[in-house]
Amino acid sequence: MNTLIILSALGIIALFAEIFRFRKALFPLILLGLGGAFFFTAKEYNHPQIFLGMMNFDNYAVIFSCAILIIAFLWFMMAKNYFLQETSVTDHFALILFSLVGAVVMVSFSNLTMLFLGIEILSVSVYVLAASDKSNVMSNESGFKYFLMGSFATGFLLFGITLIYGITGSFDLASIHTQVAANHDSGLVIAGILLLMIGLAFKSSLAPFHFWAPDVYEGAPTTVTTYMATVVKTAAFAAFFRLFSTCFAGVTGHWTDVLWWMVVLTLFVGNVSAVRQKSVKRLLAYSSVAHAGYIAIAVVSMGAASTSAILYYTFTYSISSISAFTILFIVSRHKGSKDISAFEGMSKANPLLSFAMTVAMLSLAGIPPTAGFFAKYYVFLTAINAGNTLLVLIAVIAALVGIYYYFRVIIAIYFKPEQQLVPIKVGPLHRTVLIITTILTLLFGLFPNLILGWI
Amino acid sequence: MDSNGPIDYLPIAITVLVAGGFVVTTMFVSNILGPKRKGKIKLDTFECGIESQGNARIPFSIKYFLAAILFVLFDVEVIFLYPWAVDFRKLGMDGFWEMISYMGVILIGFFYILKKGALKWDTD
Repeated sequence: MNTLIILSALGIIALFAEIFRFRKALFPLILLGLGGAFFFTAKEYNHPQIFLGMMNFDNYAVIFSCAILIIAFLWFMMAKNYFLQETSVTDHFALILFSLVGAVVMVSFSNLTMLFLGIEILSVSVYVLAASDKSNVMSNESGFKYFLMGSFATGFLLFGITLIYGITGSFDLASIHTQVAANHDSGLVIAGILLLMIGLAFKSSLAPFHFWAPDVYEGAPTTVTTYMATVVKTAAFAAFFRLFSTCFAGVTGHWTDVLWWMVVLTLFVGNVSAVRQKSVKRLLAYSSVAHAGYIAIAVVSMGAASTSAILYYTFTYSISSISAFTILFIVSRHKGSKDISAFEGMSKANPLLSFAMTVAMLSLAGIPPTAGFFAKYYVFLTAINAGNTLLVLIAVIAALVGIYYYFRVIIAIYFKPEQQLVPIKVGPLHRTVLIITTILTLLFGLFPNLILGWI
Repeated sequence: MDSNGPIDYLPIAITVLVAGGFVVTTMFVSNILGPKRKGKIKLDTFECGIESQGNARIPFSIKYFLAAILFVLFDVEVIFLYPWAVDFRKLGMDGFWEMISYMGVILIGFFYILKKGALKWDTD
């Protein structure tokens, strides 16, 4: 609860930073505030708190909130320079802080109304941010598309909540669990679960509800795309798993088959579409869709290890993504192009930048000793323990396709003739972000228990 | 929960049918029964007696939209005062302070809008 209060207060302060002219002091204040929020959240570890049956800050919520706060901290360091060029920087920071409130609500709800509120608080801010590059038509299209499709998906989610309420008479997760188990043969339960799943699959961009993702990711400013691929995805999957593991774990027969097919479709659509992309931004967008498929494997094969597998996957994926998007941001600003050709032959003049990009790509592809390898390993392990061997086989084939397109970027960096030997300027903040993310990616790859031990 | 099957939603289905049926019936029946007088004045758009001018689909200032959306925002928020006022005694001091903080956040938002110049009409 302290997390929510601190984040909301920070958001309100950010709104007024421009009016009262302390824009300069805002950025350190936000970093300090996020640090404070992290401290107060971590203090609640092993001290579960319940608020009026609406929110339950158990260890699951605490750990995912901490993960989201760390990612947000790195995000702010990455995005500072971009937003300082804007006229209304404080509005953007305020929107991000408010959407973080939504993300924390999404990982700690114990009532369906709070789930809905969390998703809306998160989404509405991101709709605006996607369109925040006002003079760019692509950005406008991106925001508009996200808004229309997002409200449609919210409609499905609400309809699902309505049907579940109709059959159980409660919004509370625990009583829904018992009531659903008691009425498991009712058609309304199946319809409600599937509608809820459609709503959440949209937010976490699982095929066939992924069509918005590539366009929105490509059109939005790169920093906002990073936010969508990291914080939003982590929160969406945390909410997805929290809802389905507490409410519908007893009636897996109703929904695992559908989700199984959605995972297979996502893995293939995401990976195969990414192969042909010229733009690195679009490639990362499709890769984000594909990664949603891998994470959803742990939801399909729900077991004791699923929680830690999802935590490990979302966190390491977010760290690697921040690294990749930061480099894309630096390179595209330098070269004026987001294509793979912009990366050609940059290894000679920029060895460190190339190394960081290589580590990020290897982690996304799932090659040891990076964190991405163990992320896939633990997800596949949950599937094998649940007897989903066929799914693992399909996912491994999809991962092989993934290696192909991630290596296209690495090959462009190291093995293509260099176009110019001018070193790309990297600001101190970007440099810090890249050092942190690269070290963390390698560290978590060598010592996965640093994350797994917590949950 | 004694009764919770799809059959219990029959009243809702009947309501939907009656509501839809009423619309369809009135539209068709009035079309058939009503007298038909066609003329330039009869078919013209009714605009409070003033002669209509041009097409309604023209671009208009975004400021109207902004003012309208802000009105809806504050209107909806103020409505929450009514249930609070009804239960004022029962909610006691806790409810009072919760409402004060709620109104405080709204006022902060209002102050922000004023300072941002969203309600200024004579700029640009």
